[in-house]
Amino acid sequence: MHLFQVGAGSGGIAVLDLVVRDPRVTRVTLVEPDVYAPHNVYRYLFPPSAVGRRKSELAAEWVRAIRPDVAFEALAADITDPARQESFARLAGECDIGICAADNEAAKFAFDALMRAANKPWTLGEVLSGGIGGWVHRFAPGGACYGCVASHLQREVKEAPSAPPPDYSSPNATQPELTIPASKASIAVIAGLHACVTLGEEPNPPTPFPKKEGGAEPEPKDENTPSAPLSPPSFLGKGVGGLGSSPHAESLLFSLQAVPGVFDAAFRSRRLRIPRSPTCLTCGAPAAPAGDALDSAVADALARLGGQ
Amino acid sequence: MGLLDTEPGKRRLLAVEVPAIERYNTGRDPDFRICVTRVGGGLVLAYALKPCYNVYRMETRLLSSYPIVPPETRVLTPLKHCPHLLEGQTMCLWRQGSTRAASRWDASQFTCVFAVVAAWRWLLCYEVWHETGEWPLPEAK
Repeated sequence: MHLFQVGAGSGGIAVLDLVVRDPRVTRVTLVEPDVYAPHNVYRYLFPPSAVGRRKSELAAEWVRAIRPDVAFEALAADITDPARQESFARLAGECDIGICAADNEAAKFAFDALMRAANKPWTLGEVLSGGIGGWVHRFAPGGACYGCVASHLQREVKEAPSAPPPDYSSPNATQPELTIPASKASIAVIAGLHACVTLGEEPNPPTPFPKKEGGAEPEPKDENTPSAPLSPPSFLGKGVGGLGSSPHAESLLFSLQAVPGVFDAAFRSRRLRIPRSPTCLTCGAPAAPAGDALDSAVADALARLGGQ
Repeated sequence: MGLLDTEPGKRRLLAVEVPAIERYNTGRDPDFRICVTRVGGGLVLAYALKPCYNVYRMETRLLSSYPIVPPETRVLTPLKHCPHLLEGQTMCLWRQGSTRAASRWDASQFTCVFAVVAAWRWLLCYEVWHETGEWPLPEAK
């Protein structure tokens, strides 16, 4: 079984460590552009002496140590890099399932586009800021896309990073993190759920929340969404089209802390079945030509609109 | 996604944004149509709006990361400093973390023409504010 993973940050490396131990996994391709930084150390698998090395290299060494029989390819690349889209599309076409552990919206949308084009299932894990809980989403070919889910959950994308300006006099200096970091323990819990969902190992049916959790996430919008169990089939067990053309994305929200206005209690789960939106402009856009014909059509359109 | 340098970006542009702009321009006075120029990896939409009494020259930028990142709209016509106006006469249209539907950019539901219409609404509020001192719409929540 070939896994195609994007992201080997503190959550991604934990998911990778769990899924690669499954004997069904025979090949893994990892895309991760970042370098191991000092602030990564306390919630990562690797020691301080590894600071400065590429995370993709460290992940490769880790996997080869625990599963030398797995064909592992680590690419130090950005999944949004336009110059590499062709090779990423080939990898998406070759894999059996995708795993997204990226922490930015651009990477999630880019991975979604690759997996939809390849008609392959994929999963996404997200630890909420501060480690108060997290999401695991499962996407099936032909079903709701990440755009449908982001729209349903009313997600925001920051227009500009709120980071301080870079210190050009000391480019390797430690930079403060932009979000409230989660603990390694909370990351491990969400990574464990992400690995279970990816491998098709269903946790026990959850106890639903007694009431709405507050303003962080909306109530389900229709009859398809309330507390429905995740579909039992395993992506891996059923193989590439195991979920067929399910029109829903399946999402698991798990709380790790009680937070006023967000989570009533810790250690509660909530499951959503998010339908494919008929008006989604990400997955429901009309067909367009491909390759050179697309470039030509775009150039024509811009010339037409430039002359208005 | 890369609006002009990836297949998904170009498909979005051709299948969603261009038809929306063409529908907006259809039958409109030439001075008020959207004119599109390529700038680097993104696009600039130049147009004029007349919400009530005055005509305003406008510019909406679709960055390379559009539509994941919202469009940025600024008023080229000089304005009196007012609420909801950011540096460079950029309109504050999409509040971060807002739960109000109209204050949140949704890449999967909106086109760039939505940003143009939102700018028209903002200018209408500006003209009301200019006359009364009151911004007629509530703050984003």
